[in-house]
Amino acid sequence: MGLKEVLKPLGAWRQIARRPHTILVPTIKREAAERYRGFHVNDLEKCIGCGTCAAVCPNEAIDMVKVEGFEAKKGDSGYRPRIDYGRCCWCALCVDSCPTTSLKMTNEYIWIRDVPEDFVYIPGYDIKGFEDKEKGYRKDKEHGLTNYNRVPMRELDPGERVKSFAEVVIGYTEEEARKEADRCVGCGLCIAGCPDRMHIPDYIRAIASGEYERSVNIMYENNPFAELCGKVCTRRCESYCSIGHEGDPVAIRWLKRFATERFSDLKEVIKVRKQEPKDKSVGIIGAGPGGLTAAYYLSLKGYKVTVYEAMPEVGGMTMAGIPKYRFPFPSLKKQVDFILSHGADLKLNYYVDPEKFRELMKRHDAIYLGVGLMKPWNLGVPGEEHPNVIYAIDFLRKVNFNEPVEIGKEVVVIGGGDVAMDAARVSRRMGARVTIAYRRRKIDMPADHEEIEGAEEEGVEIWEKIIPLRVEDAPEGKVKLVYGKAKMVDQGPGKRPKPVLIEGEEYEMVVDRIIVAIGQQADLSFLPEEIEEKLEVERGRIKVNERQMTSIPGLFAGGDVANRVADAISAIADGLRAVKGIELYLKGEL
Amino acid sequence: MELVERLKKKFEVIGFKKQRKDLFIVETTKKDLIPMLFYLKEYEGFRTLTLISYVDWIEEGKFQLSYILWNSRTKDNIIVEFRLDREKPDFETIYRMWPQAEAYEREIHEMFGVNFEGNPTQHEELILEDWDDIPPMRRDFDTLKYSMERFGERESKSGINIRKEISEQYDEWRRK
Amino acid sequence: MSKEEVRLFIGPQHPGITGNMSIELLLKGDTITWAKTHIGYLHRAFEKLMERRIFIKSFPLVCRICVPEPDTNEENFARGLEELAGIEIPERAKWIRTLVLELSRLQMLIMWYGGIAGSMGLSTPVQWGIGDRDYILDLFEELTGARIYHIYIMPGGVRKDLPDGFEEKVLRAMDMIEKKLPEYDEIIMENAVVQKRLKGLAKIPKGWVEEMGITGPVARACGFPFDVRKDSPYEAYDQLDFDVITEEGCDVWSMLLVRRREIDLSIKLIRQIIDKMPKGEFLTRLPNVLYWKIPSGETYVKSESTRGEFGYYMVTDGSDKPRRVHVKGPSFIHGITLAERLLVGQNIADVAPILVALQICPPEMER
Ligand SMILES: Cc1cc2nc3c(=O)[nH]c(=O)nc-3n(C[C@H](O)[C@H](O)[C@H](O)COP(=O)(O)OP(=O)(O)OC[C@H]3O[C@@H](n4cnc5c(N)ncnc54)[C@H](O)[C@@H]3O)c2cc1C
Ligand code: SF4
Ligand code: SF4
Repeated sequence: MGLKEVLKPLGAWRQIARRPHTILVPTIKREAAERYRGFHVNDLEKCIGCGTCAAVCPNEAIDMVKVEGFEAKKGDSGYRPRIDYGRCCWCALCVDSCPTTSLKMTNEYIWIRDVPEDFVYIPGYDIKGFEDKEKGYRKDKEHGLTNYNRVPMRELDPGERVKSFAEVVIGYTEEEARKEADRCVGCGLCIAGCPDRMHIPDYIRAIASGEYERSVNIMYENNPFAELCGKVCTRRCESYCSIGHEGDPVAIRWLKRFATERFSDLKEVIKVRKQEPKDKSVGIIGAGPGGLTAAYYLSLKGYKVTVYEAMPEVGGMTMAGIPKYRFPFPSLKKQVDFILSHGADLKLNYYVDPEKFRELMKRHDAIYLGVGLMKPWNLGVPGEEHPNVIYAIDFLRKVNFNEPVEIGKEVVVIGGGDVAMDAARVSRRMGARVTIAYRRRKIDMPADHEEIEGAEEEGVEIWEKIIPLRVEDAPEGKVKLVYGKAKMVDQGPGKRPKPVLIEGEEYEMVVDRIIVAIGQQADLSFLPEEIEEKLEVERGRIKVNERQMTSIPGLFAGGDVANRVADAISAIADGLRAVKGIELYLKGEL
Repeated sequence: MELVERLKKKFEVIGFKKQRKDLFIVETTKKDLIPMLFYLKEYEGFRTLTLISYVDWIEEGKFQLSYILWNSRTKDNIIVEFRLDREKPDFETIYRMWPQAEAYEREIHEMFGVNFEGNPTQHEELILEDWDDIPPMRRDFDTLKYSMERFGERESKSGINIRKEISEQYDEWRRK
Repeated sequence: MSKEEVRLFIGPQHPGITGNMSIELLLKGDTITWAKTHIGYLHRAFEKLMERRIFIKSFPLVCRICVPEPDTNEENFARGLEELAGIEIPERAKWIRTLVLELSRLQMLIMWYGGIAGSMGLSTPVQWGIGDRDYILDLFEELTGARIYHIYIMPGGVRKDLPDGFEEKVLRAMDMIEKKLPEYDEIIMENAVVQKRLKGLAKIPKGWVEEMGITGPVARACGFPFDVRKDSPYEAYDQLDFDVITEEGCDVWSMLLVRRREIDLSIKLIRQIIDKMPKGEFLTRLPNVLYWKIPSGETYVKSESTRGEFGYYMVTDGSDKPRRVHVKGPSFIHGITLAERLLVGQNIADVAPILVALQICPPEMER
């Protein structure tokens, strides 16, 4: 140590001539980095109020609040996140878990107010001036906390499928199901999409944690056809799924299928509480899903229930309509047997005519009509009476009941709904070449897109914008369809374009069978006159109140005859609602 | 001979696990704990005491004390643990073996309420001041309840639980 | 306490204390005859909070256990959960984590280097340390979106990939810092006053090191080559080429030398990491974090922080929350067991440099 060590430190004086490190805020505005986690912004149009951000926030900084003057859209809770910056720690877990990616952070970090309340606000609603900031922390969909990718469902190979009526969908393995179920964020928005308001997040979470029995019990709380729905439900819920906005919605239907299929003996699994027997009796006409749901819950409540069914099997359209490659018979039988095991009486091959109906009115304290839509709509073109023109529901019923049907080698199916797809795919399985003729475009088809894809994979051809004009006889036992082409005419914003016939052009095709699948209607001819007079019917459907009671006290109706949705789960929901209605009615409270 | 074999010969070994290539976990009894620590220190080269920790297995009515040792030669860690009756959480100090144990035990005494016989300073407050409740690191001490009682609800909180709200909305429907 | 003795508290409000703690001293003249560490001024019950939170909610919490060097906490917490949950993380994630840890170590060491000078009243380098550290914080801001609490190393990997051109920016910052270091040396290491005061100050008996659980730079200043990066390599440290730095003096001067040399080491490691960093994925998808359950298990993970061995003792019970997380900060031993003994016999004026040399960090003592 010497003089050197004494003088050296004086080198620090060099700094005097240097530029300072510091930035002179506020004279100079420093822009924070691209991914800086600053104040939040939220795209209120995109946000659906799912509350995932609030659920993940480690500091309870997020409250979900109703916002004034904001219409809740479909699949939207109407709530929006409000953030308390006295609690927020700027971790951006909320951003990373927002399924719609509506919530973002800006790179703005300076904001000065002297009122503390100003730091509790609803991003996107309370305008703070940094809404338009381009930069800031964003969710990267691949690496965020939402899993957007569905576990794919395995299916039979198309070539394999058309050879038989074997079930197309193979089903999840346990591992796949748990992985898929684990994607659910538990927001519960899907419940609004389910006509039956099933406890969806609860049974999905039960599947994710491996409690399958509990899961099925939750389903049976308000749906005795859980397995049916697991296979063929129209799954409206999935279009409400919050994850579906930016990715694949959770496969709610397939998960239900997975859980219910695990148990072959429902009696061992479902824990029911049967109430005291009561001395009132209820008659149910039509053993479709709606009627049977009513029968199940009514018999659990202790009522005497008798179900009258015209066909030799129960299940209604799920037996006679839905093809077996989608809904195999043993599955239906398993569910129906369990429903009937609680004491409901069943009368098969019992067509209720006006005479019998009067009798039933006397015999029972209340009646539920679940008669469905049993009459097909006609094409309404000349020559339709030709014997080679058949109707999809008749055709499918015969196939499902193993009755002989002859369709030949070449078939055209007219229609664009699910029934048309079913008829086409069944025809393929019977070895025919199949064309679907639809009057609008493929994208306008009301059928489930998976069904359309499935049909095409199996080799069904789809012709768009076809308008049938007349049917003519053709040689060699064939039939000729004469048709015109349509052009789509715009009907203004928000409306479906309308197909309009292009006049003066005519085309024809010669086929073995024309299958008409343009819808079904109610057949109420079994009602006695005095009832029919009093019964209010609106645009082809029986009018009911919110308890499913018709304009005639004690007469309830539900399912396809009463609702416009016409799918199984709506029928089930109607049945369930009617149970409550019937109960109140029988207690004299309605 | 493996370490576990050597330990088993001398002490009661309730559980043994090789968690990682350099981390062993041994469970023993209250009686054998201190002899085992002594043996590990003097004969197995685990000369360093890294940490004393504790776990509350309230459902089983037990406390667990864990002693983590380190061997500077083999670079191995070992966690030696045992369970103690929750009703009678009395144990002995090991501060004569390792001086830092004194402070660790003092913390455990304060936060967890285990009594280390022979520790001269365990009754002195380390972190808490005028604490008036059960030792706070026990599982049955509810922090949220404590703070609610003392400081009340936060005003700006709307109290809405969206998930409950949504599901109740449907319960309403289902009841109909 | 005899008649000639004076009782004196240094801290919790005192420029010479290393945070919110205090040391109670008995003095005979200038000489300390007894010392006692008092903590409890900033207890925030992190460990208790973690027991009440689902795993993901602890992820933004753990970094707060140590303000100047939060990343060791994030890394330990993440690695512990990964071990217990059986999650493999991508190779690139390991490298990015190592980069973050070294950057974090470097900024801490630079700040410390200024700080040790400050503890002797030489306040110029303190400002430099804070200023130069900011260049690394700028890097963090760009990489993680925050300057101090990065909340970046999450279970499964890291949250985001390196932004474009980040590597060059790191290298440029390294060059700049390297160029500045001689100026620091000039007024700290080559300063007669510093040398005179620190050489031979607070000599630690070698026997204490292993027995007392002394780790990190303090142990290395006593000639013990203890470095978790080498002893139990984690993340990508086993693929890096470096030697453990030791000094033989056992005194504060040696601690200063060790840390000064570790600044160079960190810069060297950062360059190596940038050079060797593989491409690829940086995050494994976790199960749904809102419901994430981890099977029951128990582990102790550790890493080398600037202060010494930092560890997480974690116990899970199969639920969605940890049963127990115990954060082992090196300061618990250094600040209580070691400091209380080491200060005895020292001059009152040397308390600050000794505490800074031990680098005592109160938040990790009372988690
Ligand atoms: C081909 C086809 C495919 C379908 N695919 C699906 C699908 O994939 N997913 C889906 O959700 N829905 C599907 N549906 C619709 C679904 O099957 C119906 O919405 C559902 O079955 C309606 O149930 P329901 O209780 O109203 O009565 P229905 O199922 O229509 O049953 C009515 C029952 O009443 C009986 N009945 C009628 N009149 C009398 C009488 N006078 N006396 C005694 N019994 C009588 C009938 O024989 C029939 O069994 C499909 C329908 C068809 C036709
Ligand atoms: S997570 Fe996103 S979509 Fe859901 S409420 Fe929060 S901001 Fe809205
Ligand atoms: S940034 Fe973190 S603390 Fe802030 S509101 Fe979002 S989740 Fe909560």
